[in-house]
Amino acid sequence: MRTVKAPNDMSEILNTLTESIKAGKRKDAKAATEQALSENIDPQQILAALTMGMDDVGRRFKANEIFVPEVLVAARSMKSSMELLEPVLAESGYTPDHTVIIGTVEGDLHDIGKNLVAMMLKGANFSVVDLGTNVGAQAFVEAAQTHKASLIGLSALLTTTMTAMREAVALFREQGLAAKVMIGGAPITEQFAQDIGADGYATDAASSVDLARSLVA
Amino acid sequence: MSRRDVVITALRGEKPPYVPWSFRFTREPRQALCAHYGVADEELDQRLGNHLVELGSDIGFFEDLGRDKHRDVFGVVWDRSVDKDIGIVCDFPLKEPTLEGYAFPDPLDERFFADIEAKCGRQPDCFRLFCLGFSLFERAWTLRGMENLMMDFLEEPEFVEELLTRIADYNLAQVKKALTYDIDGVYYGDDWGQQQGLIMGYPRWKEFIYPQLERMYGLVKAAGKFQFIHSCGDVDELFPDLIALGLDCFNPFQPEVMDTFALMQQYREQLSFWGGLSTQSTLPYGSPEKVRRESERLLEAGSLGNYIFSPSHAVESDVPMENMLTFIETAQTQGAGIMISGA
Ligand code: B12
Repeated sequence: MRTVKAPNDMSEILNTLTESIKAGKRKDAKAATEQALSENIDPQQILAALTMGMDDVGRRFKANEIFVPEVLVAARSMKSSMELLEPVLAESGYTPDHTVIIGTVEGDLHDIGKNLVAMMLKGANFSVVDLGTNVGAQAFVEAAQTHKASLIGLSALLTTTMTAMREAVALFREQGLAAKVMIGGAPITEQFAQDIGADGYATDAASSVDLARSLVA
Repeated sequence: MSRRDVVITALRGEKPPYVPWSFRFTREPRQALCAHYGVADEELDQRLGNHLVELGSDIGFFEDLGRDKHRDVFGVVWDRSVDKDIGIVCDFPLKEPTLEGYAFPDPLDERFFADIEAKCGRQPDCFRLFCLGFSLFERAWTLRGMENLMMDFLEEPEFVEELLTRIADYNLAQVKKALTYDIDGVYYGDDWGQQQGLIMGYPRWKEFIYPQLERMYGLVKAAGKFQFIHSCGDVDELFPDLIALGLDCFNPFQPEVMDTFALMQQYREQLSFWGGLSTQSTLPYGSPEKVRRESERLLEAGSLGNYIFSPSHAVESDVPMENMLTFIETAQTQGAGIMISGA
């Protein structure tokens, strides 16, 4: 028998969860998730509370109110909460609507920015497959096909590896991949994204969430 | 006037006879230039007419572990299978936020001072700069892992403070010894910036980094030497603090992330700049004509002093030979069109 929680308690628990994500309090996030699950709150509502927390983190990061350290502790709190939530979501037959393949292009080893983008996308409830750094174009194609991805995210921090990005996008087009392509990294510009035929460009991790949402909408 | 004096004049904010320059190249373009000029690697700086001679060991010493793995003196292992110049950290010693059981390397290791005499001998009239790379924040994150250190700032502030203090102690010991040689300045490399803003954010920089810089610059300034630093990225919000600490010269001065010409005016007689020529757009993608125009504009802006001409960062393999030769020649033939140095 399932007891239904009174809406007030429920919103209080979820509110605590959102706040602990925002503050990057991993233990609190975990405890709130445990409590929410034990009180049988709809897992999708728990997920929505997490996403709300990460959205706020993204907004403040974009506005330069917080910096990489705060985003990392928030993302880690989200991760520890997701570890509890994921099996319950899976059991209830829920899967994220969209899968993103992300990686740093061939010849490039910078991954701090790419990791942040991956974390924020997870926080926005995308299923994220991170291929790491120095990833060849063909590996993106294969992963996109295997995971039926709706999006591919390419990161490049070096002018010397922007060419690898161009080649990767050309290969995706040649292979007729359905996935949209978004790109980013220090030397990347809107103009460059247009030139190489990418579908979008974002300057930071929070904007990449907005971009990803708009590309799959 | 010797090249050394030209640099000193410029650093003092006085008008030098011409704008001094000093260029750096990553391995491939360096080899290409040596082949072009028909000189050996150790002759290249002289051939370019560089005004600075860089002493010490910028990135330190490495032990070859085989299969492209190299261990630095701090115990950090770097994988160079892709990037041949530095590589990327693949194993770090401080797995937990504690220094217990960790021994710092010897700051007085002879290898840091071994080439001083020889290099100064080869470029006797250059300004002598003792360099320490990865000098604080970067040393900390390579020892602890970038993401760990970032989170430690919030969760283990005492550990971070201790770690940075110990790194600064190490630097101070090494610089103290370097100051016993006839050097002109000390250069600390440490990247704090990203394309927009500071990686750690200003409040944390001020809390953790600033107090150590105060100790580090203090020693150099007390010895009456010039203080140089290098930080990539968008860090101009720090200039007032850095000037207060006694900084003399800032590198690489990236035009993509800061308004170089406005800053040269704004900080005239307070801070000198070394760099400024775009390595993210003009050098790899611009025409030789564009390289020449941008170089001339910088040389013009720097003609009153407070400036050392150079690309903003070591030139990479994506820069065409013609573009390299263009900025080199523009520097060498500035002003009256006479060959000032080189050859
Ligand atoms: C840290 C750093 C390193 C570290 C990397 C550690 C790591 N694990 O990533 C180390 C020391 C290893 C390194 C090495 C090198 N580096 Co480096 N590095 C940097 C530095 C200082 C900061 C980069 C960073 O992490 N920023 C923080 C993150 C949060 O920001 P971000 O990466 O920009 O990411 C954000 C956005 O760009 C965007 N984004 C990023 N990816 C994506 C992807 C998508 C899909 C989207 C939508 C958005 C997006 O969102 C992110 C989050 O907000 C930059 C300076 C700069 N101007 O960026 C130089 C810089 C990128 N490096 C540079 C160079 C030259 C090198 C080396 C070649 C040095 C050398 N060997 O001599 C090597 C190359 C190694 C290689 N093959 O990759 C140059 C590149 C110049 C050029 N010509 O392009 C820079 C610009 C410095 C400079 N002054 O010129 N580097």
